Amino acid sequence: MAEKRLMVEDHIRRNKRGTVLVCFLMGILFLGVVFSFGYIYFRNIYISLLIALPIAVFYVVLTYSFSVQTVLSAAKARPSNPNVREEKLLIYKVEDMALASGLPKPKVYVQDSDNINAFATGKKPENAVICVTTGALRKLKADELEGVIAHEMSHIQNRDILISTVTIGVVGAIALIAEILFYSMFWGGAGRGRGRNDGNAIIIIIAIIFVILAPIFARLTYLAISRRREYLADSSGAYLSRNPEGLAKALEKIKQDHPKGKPKGSKMVAPLYIANPFKRQTIKSMWSTHPPIDERIRRLRSM
Amino acid sequence: MDLLLILGLVILVIIVLLVIIFFSYYNRIIRLENRIDNSWAQIDVQLRRRAELIPNLMETVKGYMKHEKEVLENVTKARSAVMNAKTPQENIEADNMLTGALKSLFAVAENYPDLKANQNFLNLQDELTNTENKIAYSRQHFNDTVLRFNNTIETFPGVIFARWMNKSEREMLQIPAESREVPKVQF
Repeated sequence: MAEKRLMVEDHIRRNKRGTVLVCFLMGILFLGVVFSFGYIYFRNIYISLLIALPIAVFYVVLTYSFSVQTVLSAAKARPSNPNVREEKLLIYKVEDMALASGLPKPKVYVQDSDNINAFATGKKPENAVICVTTGALRKLKADELEGVIAHEMSHIQNRDILISTVTIGVVGAIALIAEILFYSMFWGGAGRGRGRNDGNAIIIIIAIIFVILAPIFARLTYLAISRRREYLADSSGAYLSRNPEGLAKALEKIKQDHPKGKPKGSKMVAPLYIANPFKRQTIKSMWSTHPPIDERIRRLRSM
Repeated sequence: MDLLLILGLVILVIIVLLVIIFFSYYNRIIRLENRIDNSWAQIDVQLRRRAELIPNLMETVKGYMKHEKEVLENVTKARSAVMNAKTPQENIEADNMLTGALKSLFAVAENYPDLKANQNFLNLQDELTNTENKIAYSRQHFNDTVLRFNNTIETFPGVIFARWMNKSEREMLQIPAESREVPKVQF
């Protein structure tokens, strides 16, 4: 058992390191966009930082403040009903995982939907929410459900909600700044008629290309972070439940599942789910919010 | 003159860093130790919950299982043993006895369809299974907090602080061999 546990902890450590790397990349991207903005517009890098930083911070704080209500209403989730035995057992399982992680007990919500899925949200562990679909309650066995809940609990424990909200905020801010720049160049023609020499023009062109591409790179970086955090939640969850096979079996069921009806809720909240309900994620793709299911199952089974 | 200034600044930065490290390790060790005490208290909470559920269970089943005196007595005896346990070792042994006695009771209850249809009994069964799981998880968490504490005070530089603060390693809960085959109870 000690040998197995070391493997899980190795996974956890590796995944955490990956996150730091990708976040660093994101920070550099942000700075790059801001400086480009400053250079193109004002020939002065520091002024742009003065403008861009407050925009970004404001944006991030705003989205973070309303994250819980936004997510819950977008997903059409309702509080769980302890009088229904399935949901009562779900509440017990969430309490169990809270005990195992030492975190306060999250509120338990349910989404009436046929597909097997779950998500976690919340600004702090103290007011966290875990939501599970009725499809999951019906189709998953006890140890499989436990694996799913352990995964969601890990998201809360690892502050993933904070990380993903901030990251989405930064991506949004980068896109916003880039758009402002683009439109103002269209209308205002910054740099034209200022009598500068060619050397600076080349830099301007580079800066423009950078600003156009930056939102794309930011999005890719965000998706890379999202995938890393999913692997981390898988391994942390396996540690909590001491049973990686539970989640592995649940993921297999999710893979084979053919739910009736369209997934509920808006696409915006897709990254928070345990598996993207809007796209079958079987291929390894830069554009996926979640890692491919088969790879997740393989890693779980190797623990 | 400049060199002296730079040297002074470097020394200042080093001192500040050392102070920060000092505080962080001191606080971390205290915090991790408090978590151990907290998680130990949690185990107790769950054990009490289970002990409190049992009289209710006995009331519900005794009408139906009149002829299963031995099974019922085992549960009652085990429960008293848990309430009277003085040392942690006694506690764990009595606790195992109770878990075993409850398992037998529920196994025997399978033969009584009337009992199985009783809503009260079903609720209690859910509750007790739930408590067994919670006891297992709170023990697991206790061991996790002990592991984290031990890791911190055994590795460098925590080991220096530990010696100075007079902290020693804590012991993890040992699960007796017999109950190792009993995995967490599934509903």
